[in-house]
Amino acid sequence: MDAQFLVSLSLIVATFALYIGIAFYNKAKATSDFYVAGRGVPPIFNGMAIGADWMSAASFIGLAGTVMLLGYDGLAYIMGWTGGYLLLTFLLAAQLRKYGRYTVPEFIGDRYKSNAARLIAALATIIISFTYSIGQLSGSGIVIGRLLEVDAAVGTLIGVVLIAFYSAFGGMKGITWTQVAQYVILIIAYLVPVIFMALQLTQNPIPWISYGEVISEIKTLDQELGISEYLVPFTEGSKWQFIALMFTLMAGTAGLPHVIVRFYTVSTMKAARWSGAWALLFIGLLYLSAPAYAAFSRFILMTNVAGQAINDLPAWTAAWIDTGKLSIADGNNDGILQWSELVISNDIVVMATPEIANLGIFVIGLMAAGAMAAALSTAGGLMIAISAALSHDIYYRSINPNASEKKRLAVGRWSIVIATVIAGLTALNPPGAITQIVAWAFALASGSFFPALLLGVWWKRSNGPGVIAGMVTGLTVTLTYIFLAKYGGFTILGIIDTGAGVFGAAAAIAANVTVSLLTKAPSKEIQEEVIDLRYPEQMTYKDGAVWMNDEN
Amino acid sequence: MKKVDKKMADAYFRARTLSITIYLIIWFVVSFGVVLFAEPLSSITFNGIPLHYYMGAQGAILTFILLLFINAIVSDRIDKRFGIDEKRNEAISSGKTLDH
Repeated sequence: MDAQFLVSLSLIVATFALYIGIAFYNKAKATSDFYVAGRGVPPIFNGMAIGADWMSAASFIGLAGTVMLLGYDGLAYIMGWTGGYLLLTFLLAAQLRKYGRYTVPEFIGDRYKSNAARLIAALATIIISFTYSIGQLSGSGIVIGRLLEVDAAVGTLIGVVLIAFYSAFGGMKGITWTQVAQYVILIIAYLVPVIFMALQLTQNPIPWISYGEVISEIKTLDQELGISEYLVPFTEGSKWQFIALMFTLMAGTAGLPHVIVRFYTVSTMKAARWSGAWALLFIGLLYLSAPAYAAFSRFILMTNVAGQAINDLPAWTAAWIDTGKLSIADGNNDGILQWSELVISNDIVVMATPEIANLGIFVIGLMAAGAMAAALSTAGGLMIAISAALSHDIYYRSINPNASEKKRLAVGRWSIVIATVIAGLTALNPPGAITQIVAWAFALASGSFFPALLLGVWWKRSNGPGVIAGMVTGLTVTLTYIFLAKYGGFTILGIIDTGAGVFGAAAAIAANVTVSLLTKAPSKEIQEEVIDLRYPEQMTYKDGAVWMNDEN
Repeated sequence: MKKVDKKMADAYFRARTLSITIYLIIWFVVSFGVVLFAEPLSSITFNGIPLHYYMGAQGAILTFILLLFINAIVSDRIDKRFGIDEKRNEAISSGKTLDH
């Protein structure tokens, strides 16, 4: 046990104590607390909670590494994961808030007057959130694995126990305020090392301005060494893959059930709009820093690590080799580590860089605490979404409508525990890098929920059979494309598995529109309800006219 | 409850959809548009970074954040112009919410 271990562990324990304290203080007592935090969260805090809910291990641990390894092509993740907030806030969030339900499947079931549609949506929620949480658990496994210097798989198992206990406990109300705390911790943890690195490399503490300098030096190094082209577009995939991936991540963002539900926790449509704006501002702090992080790490690796004698490598390399995420092989036996002999997993770049840059044990410990905050907060939100789909949309609304609140909360808590354990077992042998697994979850959301919600809110003619056809087609097309592209080598225009959402969404919209037009139009009541969503709460659309509620 | 003049109701909807359409066009241009023209844009540099890379790493995100805040502010103004009272919205919203 060295000093590094003790510092990291005490930081993690201290932050955990804080989260558990907050969750305990805000323990859910009523059903509406458990699902939507009592619907009174102020927009600015809701923005932070969305930020923590949203920024997962993929953003915190995986994003900068992905940009570092893919160069320009990695920026599809940056633009995709931020640009989706515009679709969500402009086209869906406020309208869904006005409709005022607990969950996304519940909206779909009531808007389309179809139990089957609600059950399919609940199933889609479970599939999407489950896929997504595999990425989170595998992320927390990497952090815990590095900390305890054990294999990432053992770390994952420890993460499962922590996450199951933590998210079953508080429900949405507890999680909202814990997520606010987690946002603060994760953003500090992310910004401190990147600011220190900026200072070290450029003598300017503002990384967003100073990394231009480092980028130009990387460009020169690339040309001198002739090894790679960091800034040249579309070297890792086709232009269409870039666009398809960006679209998938945007549409997926607008359709992720655990993020949408955060817009149900505020009081009005106006508060939903402001939540979206604050959320992207808080998220932007990390997303604007990730490319700087990537550039700094790459520069340090290119200049300080590559080209060194193998026997002379710094101590941090050994600890990461133990986790199985870093390998160094002297391919040409010259005793020197060439750039091409360094195989670094994109999932460890962020966690390893403070050590690579020699930033000291406190910063490294802070990074570990921040990464755990990111993994925990998102896993918490995902587990709430899974539990709501099971206990509310399936159990309460279809199986046992007379269930007491106590019974429903118990079903909710148990489904969290079971889902976490199963996701954890899958994460022991993750089927891809964290960002890739998470991209699949987004592809599934853009193939199922995004079309269903978009048409549900903006096209009154869309009906039950239409949405069922749309969701089933979208999910099938997306899943088939992911499998064919990953395992069968089949691609269209060079679009690989992570860009599958573009086909899923297109197929789902086509199926929804066609089937809706071929079947009976929804009742007048439903059509008016859909038009009603275009107006603020005080206005109601009824009997072909808009009414203003001005009584006091 | 009083009936809102149809012209007024349509004007409200038009004002909201028009602004959203404009934001989404800008959204498309700074993300998809820049990617489509990445190669020719790479010869221009901004702060030492080729423009296509700068837009992906910073420019697009800053535009997105700005658009969301502009939307929040403009929407509030539109609501105000049409005499919407947020306090009233809150009361109606909490009463209308389906809790079960």
